[in-house]
Amino acid sequence: MASIRNTGPLEIVVSQADINDRIQPAAIEPSNSITRLGEAKVMIPFPWIPGIPYEIGITTSDGTRFSKSVEAAALAPTPDANQALLFTSLGVYVGVIPVLIGLMWYPYIRRISIGKYSFFLSLTAGLLIFLGIDALLEVNEIVNQNLAAVFNGQALSVLVTISSFIVLLYTSERLTQRAIEKAVLKKNNHSLASSSSVGKLGKSEKSTTERQGGEIYNKSAKISSSTQEVQIQLQRYQQLLKPLTISMMIAIGIGLHNFGEGLAIGAAMLLGEVALSTFLIVGFTLHNTTEGLAIVAPIAKIERSRRMMIRRLVTMGLIAGVPTIAGTWIGGFLYSPIAAVIFLSVGAGAIFQVVYSLISWISHHQKSAPSSPLSGHVIAGFITGLLIMYLTGLLL
Amino acid sequence: MPRHLLLIGLLTFIGSSIIVIGLISGVYKDFILNSLSDNNTVISSTDSSDASIGGHVPGYPIGDTSGTIIDPIDQVVDSQNSVVDPEKYLREFNYGRVSTTPNGTTLREFTLVASDQLVKEISPGVSYNVWTFNGTVPGPTIRATEGDVVRINFVNNGSLPHSLHTHGIHPAEMDGVFEMISPGGKFTYEFVAEPFGVFPYHCHMTPLEEHIAHGLYGVYIVDPKSPRAPADEMVMVMNGYDTDFDTENNFYTVNGIPYYYMHHPIQIEKDKPVRLYLVNMLEFDPLNNFHLHANMFNYYPSGTSLQPDELTDIISLNQGERGIMEFKYKFPGKYMFHAHKTEFAEKGWMGTFFVDDKIATRNSSQIDNSPFYDTLNNSFVTKIPQTSGARM
Repeated sequence: MASIRNTGPLEIVVSQADINDRIQPAAIEPSNSITRLGEAKVMIPFPWIPGIPYEIGITTSDGTRFSKSVEAAALAPTPDANQALLFTSLGVYVGVIPVLIGLMWYPYIRRISIGKYSFFLSLTAGLLIFLGIDALLEVNEIVNQNLAAVFNGQALSVLVTISSFIVLLYTSERLTQRAIEKAVLKKNNHSLASSSSVGKLGKSEKSTTERQGGEIYNKSAKISSSTQEVQIQLQRYQQLLKPLTISMMIAIGIGLHNFGEGLAIGAAMLLGEVALSTFLIVGFTLHNTTEGLAIVAPIAKIERSRRMMIRRLVTMGLIAGVPTIAGTWIGGFLYSPIAAVIFLSVGAGAIFQVVYSLISWISHHQKSAPSSPLSGHVIAGFITGLLIMYLTGLLL
Repeated sequence: MPRHLLLIGLLTFIGSSIIVIGLISGVYKDFILNSLSDNNTVISSTDSSDASIGGHVPGYPIGDTSGTIIDPIDQVVDSQNSVVDPEKYLREFNYGRVSTTPNGTTLREFTLVASDQLVKEISPGVSYNVWTFNGTVPGPTIRATEGDVVRINFVNNGSLPHSLHTHGIHPAEMDGVFEMISPGGKFTYEFVAEPFGVFPYHCHMTPLEEHIAHGLYGVYIVDPKSPRAPADEMVMVMNGYDTDFDTENNFYTVNGIPYYYMHHPIQIEKDKPVRLYLVNMLEFDPLNNFHLHANMFNYYPSGTSLQPDELTDIISLNQGERGIMEFKYKFPGKYMFHAHKTEFAEKGWMGTFFVDDKIATRNSSQIDNSPFYDTLNNSFVTKIPQTSGARM
């Protein structure tokens, strides 16, 4: 039994189906006339032999034949409890567990020197850059292999990547500001004037792109004549919330990336490739342990109670890991190349946004430390990050 | 503390690895066992099913569907625009408008109108720009007796130059090769029918392959002066259609429509001789063949001898080759015939004979030497004859 989906650029009528260029009786649901960009399912009853390659073709009413090869026939998984359980456990195994294992770097990173810390931050940036490029390459592969030319997949992925980058940048800025506003308001509910000044500050910060804490401090001093106390608190919250936001955005970015990985695994299951490549899953898992590190690095230097921190870390680990499960379900049960392209591109945009924040965070850190902005630590960390991803990627 | 954590991490990793690998192999084993043991899985659709596919081949999986069924092998489709009615074509012989010349010879006059504008259904749901003689592929079968004068009024109703080239013995200017007939042009081919046998006729304009592959051909039969023994006579033309213009055939047929005689078995009578005029007009593929099931036939290459060449159940023909087959069935039942080049068979070139003890309704006019029956007897026809709709 096979069911294939067909997306065509023009309204077409499918008149015939074949396997290996030999005509076969078939059924087309919902109908054999398919509108532009419409989909239909072609069912060909056939004694498929698992593991054998097949070419499946359709002939339209004007006699043109289109075909697609299947590397190895396998029974498509049906959405039953067993299957859902398998996908879930795969998602947990590939996404959640490695990320959580990666978070265990936290106590170590907490204790290291500022130079080594820069090394790890830039390592994270390297890891993420690699993931982002990897996602775009993956998109390109899907576009070339499975997406009808009419969708112009490459352009779509550029559009989605840039849009997600901009939207996430804006969102993260806004979230940081909101959090600061709230925190300051809570602590200083006595002064109406200061609250309005912080409100204005929030707006001006939004319209500019990325500012450092020090500049904001100056600006707020200009705008209002509120007390020194408020300003100090503001700066403290800024120092505290900025890394938390970066970590959260990293977690979200990695979550989207892992969603893409989940799609890939689910789709591989759908195509019956899993039996051959349990190894692939183990590879993904090892690869993903490095992602926990990325989440941990920016927040490692914040003074915060350990219990609070563990709770936060676990939350972020779950944000980064759990989408893998959703990915395996969607990839396995309702795979669509266009959805995969969109999700992966959103993930790439998210990752680039995170890298952007990280780099500004590193340079901020470097400024507060005596060393130069582009230290040996930063360069070594960045290249090591890329290398780690490349080498663990070789396992796949 | 960090070491402690890393150890816990490692253990978690190993533990979950084992669980997941176990799960995968467990679930996958079920898949494989299912696929091996249960061949007749039923496609269940989410909608209420109203039809099934695949049931006609024993042992094949059967599926229910609410969608469109496309099954050219088993399904009978009413078509108002079929390229030919193979049921009618099979036993239709055109003897022409008959008159006698002053010296007493029989003159048979035919009209063939060439066209290259028709778009016809060549397989259910598949339309193709066919180039036709008298609106069908293959064109009408014309038939004369050795020594008759054959006059063919040829009309080019198409947009390209065409001609009529008939196999057989005739003068050079009647060969239809060097004199092209322009669009709208007319030409009268006239020659004495010789020798007896079975011949193709076709357009001989270049590109030759293009003109023939699009459908400009038909069968020309010359009977010996002393007629062959009575038999249930039929004509079969093996052809193909290259609908996507890649110089490879997408469809192979006998008598114009793929699989037609699979769902319309040819009715023949047990122990009654069958004479089959077989012509190979396939383009692109050099070789075609015919294999008859559960029987043997006498084969007369080109039909130019009254003595069979061999007794066989398979005959291979190059492009343009043809011959006469004679056989009768000893047992009733359904028998297949098809190209033993199985690719062709599985792209439409297969059919069945249904052998009955006695066929009461058989029209005697379909037997050889019957009073003729003549669809080409009007003199000049400038309009393309309409083909009647057929079930295909």
